[in-house]
Amino acid sequence: MGKFVDRPKYICAMGGAVATLNALPGVVPILHAAAGCGFNISNAINGGGGYVGSGYCGGQSLPSSNVFEKEIVFGGEGRLEQQILSTMEIAEADIYFVITGCMVEMIGDDAVSVVKRLNKGKRLFAADTGGFRGNSYKGYDIVLSKLFSEYVQTGLEKDERLVNLWGIVPVQDVYWKGNLRVLKKLVEGLGYKVNTFFGEDETLEDLKESSKAILNIVVSDTYGIDAAKTFKEVHDTDYITTDFPIGDHGTARFIKEVGTALGASNEVINALIKKERKRYYGYLERVVDAYSDFDLQRYAVIVGDANYTQGLTRFLSDDLGWLPELVIINDLLEEEQKEFLRRKFSDYESGIKPELVFDTDASSVLKHINRHWEVNKNPRYYDSMTPAFLIGSSFEKETAQKIKAQHLSVMYPVSNRVVLDRAYAGFEGALTLTEDIFSVLLESR
Amino acid sequence: MANKKIKQIAIYGKGGIGKSTTTSNISAALVKQGFKVMQFGCDPKSDSTNTLRGGKYIPTVLDTLREKTTVKASEVIHEGFGGVYCVEAGGPAPGVGCAGRGIITAVQLFKQQRVFEELDLDFVIYDVLGDVVCGGFAVPIREGIAEHVFTVSSADFMAVYAANNLFRGIHKYSNAGGALLGGVIANSINAPYAKEIIDDFVKQTKTQVVEYVPRSVTVTQSELQGKTTIEAAPNSEQAKIYTRLALKIAEHTESKVPEPLDVHELREWASKWADHLLALETGEVTSKASCI
Repeated sequence: MGKFVDRPKYICAMGGAVATLNALPGVVPILHAAAGCGFNISNAINGGGGYVGSGYCGGQSLPSSNVFEKEIVFGGEGRLEQQILSTMEIAEADIYFVITGCMVEMIGDDAVSVVKRLNKGKRLFAADTGGFRGNSYKGYDIVLSKLFSEYVQTGLEKDERLVNLWGIVPVQDVYWKGNLRVLKKLVEGLGYKVNTFFGEDETLEDLKESSKAILNIVVSDTYGIDAAKTFKEVHDTDYITTDFPIGDHGTARFIKEVGTALGASNEVINALIKKERKRYYGYLERVVDAYSDFDLQRYAVIVGDANYTQGLTRFLSDDLGWLPELVIINDLLEEEQKEFLRRKFSDYESGIKPELVFDTDASSVLKHINRHWEVNKNPRYYDSMTPAFLIGSSFEKETAQKIKAQHLSVMYPVSNRVVLDRAYAGFEGALTLTEDIFSVLLESR
Repeated sequence: MANKKIKQIAIYGKGGIGKSTTTSNISAALVKQGFKVMQFGCDPKSDSTNTLRGGKYIPTVLDTLREKTTVKASEVIHEGFGGVYCVEAGGPAPGVGCAGRGIITAVQLFKQQRVFEELDLDFVIYDVLGDVVCGGFAVPIREGIAEHVFTVSSADFMAVYAANNLFRGIHKYSNAGGALLGGVIANSINAPYAKEIIDDFVKQTKTQVVEYVPRSVTVTQSELQGKTTIEAAPNSEQAKIYTRLALKIAEHTESKVPEPLDVHELREWASKWADHLLALETGEVTSKASCI
């Protein structure tokens, strides 16, 4: 029997698909699932996603076939067809996208062929997203792959100044929209137009013509890779994967990697880094006095997903001069992915080598902290891991209290903050992150 | 008659092995003995009770449920030969939906409505589709529905394989108040070696043969008339065998947990018999075969 996951920090594949589709402009998802699926998914998206809200046609307004026993016994394709047609009549959208839950897949309902039969062209799509296929990240990959292979036009002439950027998963990265805005601006700084699909001012037309891009930048080594492979297969566009950048050390690398892949000159790359650094340190230096006067250096424990943990740890270690002690990644990962990720946590300029733990149980954080740092058993002298700061999700709030550390929710689920256009990526995001972290430290003043 | 114990029996076996023929003849024989019997077909093909009703199909539980949201059990009970109450669970069209869930729905509907008690039945016999491919087809042997299970099997390997699978299902549910195995109804047993194969299989799995039923043209003739052998040829040798089987089942009280073979054991067992049959065919006389 497989190991169960205690306190997962994601939803099922269909949940990831709903979040992804809700984040696209002009798209209405149609769920082919039991009534509970849409309800639970909506709650998990809204409650864990910094109160992202229902959007145009999400939340409790999600169209769903709401199958019951009758559909399970006799098959639910007829019910789905009915739901598609009524949704298309009532809800205005450019694209309707059918996604399937566990039970309809188990009984063999074929949503893809229902959609094919209805013959609505590039307005109606379907993908199998049964929850058992994986978690939110899988749903993101499934939806993107489907759109890349069926919606994005083939045979368009390449635009030498156009790139696509993804790998920042809507809702699983609670700050996705802000982060995409920041990263888009950075790549634009290299002289390119950028499609991010889910960011500000993005259109479906841009997505449809995204095959014109000369490069796909996947800002993750873990998420969106399957979609990049599909894109390469269908549209013959190469892709690179980069680390999710936070702060100077992460973002300068990001600019160099992307710039080099695009063949930008060193002058252009360095000029952009210089310009960004000037602004960044111009603001960051303001906090130096308080940092020194109040002694705001902290031991840090970082708990969360594969994208953020590496970006945060590099930022804390090399930008902020903190002492990251322990990093816990809660994602479901393959052995090769873990091996690859280990290398990301070992080359800090500070020379710090935090302990890296892979544990899918978010409930085990305290256990790892107590193992990592000897618990106080009242000896005469005790070297405690204080003052400490825990960066994680809302799940870690209590754990932080138990170890008397301060806490900031950065990764999903974020239930104790409202998130609008905030970003933590890049130089700009690192300033916001610094504000947020130091505001927590100084809140009692 | 409030305290009367209704005997609930499930009959399983590989598709096409003669389950429905056997079950219908058992039902017919039991009503002739004066018992009140219901035959409950648990197969989406819904042809279990055909020979009890002159070859006519009846509306199934699920057909009726498809049309209406609630169904009264009395609407889907149809009387057949000698007053046998015939029910067909029915199911979805081939290739869609979930037949297993359909069986669960139909059986639970009857259980909830306490129909068996109201009809004052002596026997309920479930005739269930073959290989116990999913949880739905195991419903009669779990949840305290049937108490005794009989499996119809010929000496063909695939039929034995299906029987062994059923034994695994019974074994699994045996600790949770599920049905236990009454034994094997050995069907189409004509060649002498067929009897030997089945005897060996029941020995290996610690069960018993309830009755050996030979293949008979009388059965075919009766079925072509849309009747059971008990109805169409009551004085035939075959009818006597079915009556004897029915009485044995009626008197049967103690079922047991079988000991199914695992996949490797089953393969080994089969290949041993394959060697033996080859030896018979080629005329090789060994001490084991010389008695045949």
